[in-house]
Amino acid sequence: MTAQLDPGSIEERLRAIQSITDAALSRLDDRELLAELLERTREALQTDTAAVLLLDFASGQLIATAAAGLEEEVRQGVRIPVGRGFAGRIAAEHRPVILDHVDHTTVLNPILWARGIQSMMGVPMVAGGRVIGVLHVGSLTPRQFTDPDVELLQLAGDRAAAAVQSVNAQADRQAAVALQRSLVPAVLPAVAGAEMAARYIPGSGGVGGDWYDVFTLPTGELCVVMGDVAGSGLPAAVIMGRMRSALRAYALETRDPAEVLSRLDRKMQHFEPDAMATVLYAIIEPGLERMDISLAGHFPPVIARPGRPAELASVPAGLMIGIADPSPRPVTSLPIPPDALVCFYTDGLIERRGEVIDEGLARLCRAVTVQPVEAACAIVMQELVGSQAARDDIALLMLRRQPGPLTIGG
Amino acid sequence: MPDAGFSVEMIRGVPVVATPEDIDITNAAGLRAALLQSAVHGTGALVVDMTRTQFCDTAGLHALVAAHKRARANGGRVLLVLPDLTILRIFAITGLDRVIEHFPSLEEAVAAGAAGPA
Repeated sequence: MTAQLDPGSIEERLRAIQSITDAALSRLDDRELLAELLERTREALQTDTAAVLLLDFASGQLIATAAAGLEEEVRQGVRIPVGRGFAGRIAAEHRPVILDHVDHTTVLNPILWARGIQSMMGVPMVAGGRVIGVLHVGSLTPRQFTDPDVELLQLAGDRAAAAVQSVNAQADRQAAVALQRSLVPAVLPAVAGAEMAARYIPGSGGVGGDWYDVFTLPTGELCVVMGDVAGSGLPAAVIMGRMRSALRAYALETRDPAEVLSRLDRKMQHFEPDAMATVLYAIIEPGLERMDISLAGHFPPVIARPGRPAELASVPAGLMIGIADPSPRPVTSLPIPPDALVCFYTDGLIERRGEVIDEGLARLCRAVTVQPVEAACAIVMQELVGSQAARDDIALLMLRRQPGPLTIGG
Repeated sequence: MPDAGFSVEMIRGVPVVATPEDIDITNAAGLRAALLQSAVHGTGALVVDMTRTQFCDTAGLHALVAAHKRARANGGRVLLVLPDLTILRIFAITGLDRVIEHFPSLEEAVAAGAAGPA
């Protein structure tokens, strides 16, 4: 049935547009929306099949993801390379394609011609200026698709693209949050003589690349890691996970913090050449009297001693991870006096727009005071973050060397 | 897709890209694309003029480092104009000040770039 522009079909067409743009659709969960949209598209265009193939950017293939009347396409995991076949051509050429004749010469996917589909029409699904998939419909009887049909299908394609973007963004966000949670220690290790507390706050843009790690070595030494991977969301969280595992492995192999960071750097440059991160790595003696620390582009810790204002530890800067540069990394040995409190953090805690970093560092030094670590964390968060939502994510870790045993006076 | 925010200007035959006041996650990808595009052309110097920039987070540093690596792989170099103390401080903490050449003024960076390889 061809769509002639007589008054009856105009009315029909408006109804069809209405069914696809229906505001009620947006009250559906995004996945349900895609299924419902395909059903409505099939009805509105009076076709037998409707299907969505999404582009997998890693492989350059279109993967059948949702279908109405053509469910086997999804169940069999049909994959079409971009540029080949009907759907592949739509994705490659970024424009609608109509097929009046379906056979193995025009269509790559045997399911379509085996199913007896005679005519097909497909449109690119575009989001953010790039093709993310293809929406196509098919008819079991020969059919001449018209320009108004193409327009209607494109309308559905745009709607589907928005739904898919939203599903993907949500899935990535959830995965990033889950990964981030699995990466920071659920419980800080219990170490005799040490008291520890930590905070992680995602930035307003979602999970960023900050992480911290605390673990003990077989020697009884305590290791502290603070890191900040450039980027955000799932890609940064994945890099973060790899760095965390690699660093733990190198920590077991060598005691030298500079060597641990150098090995981590070499590993990252080889396997993740585009990644960049700042990392602090400190190894603390079992008696907690001293720590050996090396910085890869990270801020030094702030140390508070009883009865004195807290100060930024004097630790030389080392190059951040991910820059091809083999120069040796410095290690600094710092004493931790009894009852001292060491504050490790990421840049999100101190950086403010329109302010020199030293002001943020000075504010942090004023806020860090010797007291039970949970209270110390709470005060720092109160003073530096307050009620404003941080743009960047924040990681904070406090370690306090408990005061020596009390001498019992007369 | 060229970003309208990052145009390349030629000064004494040296390409110069000026960065905005803030470089963060919202515009770092555009900056990165603009810098990589410029760094890939020719084997000469690319000047990144950060005179106006007052804030540069890790995403911004990432863009600069990517351009530096690309330029070096092609036999070229990236020269930064860094008069702002805040940004210089960030470069010192990350160690990048010892890796990427930087100058206090545009004139000095362009002169170094026009003079040929370091």
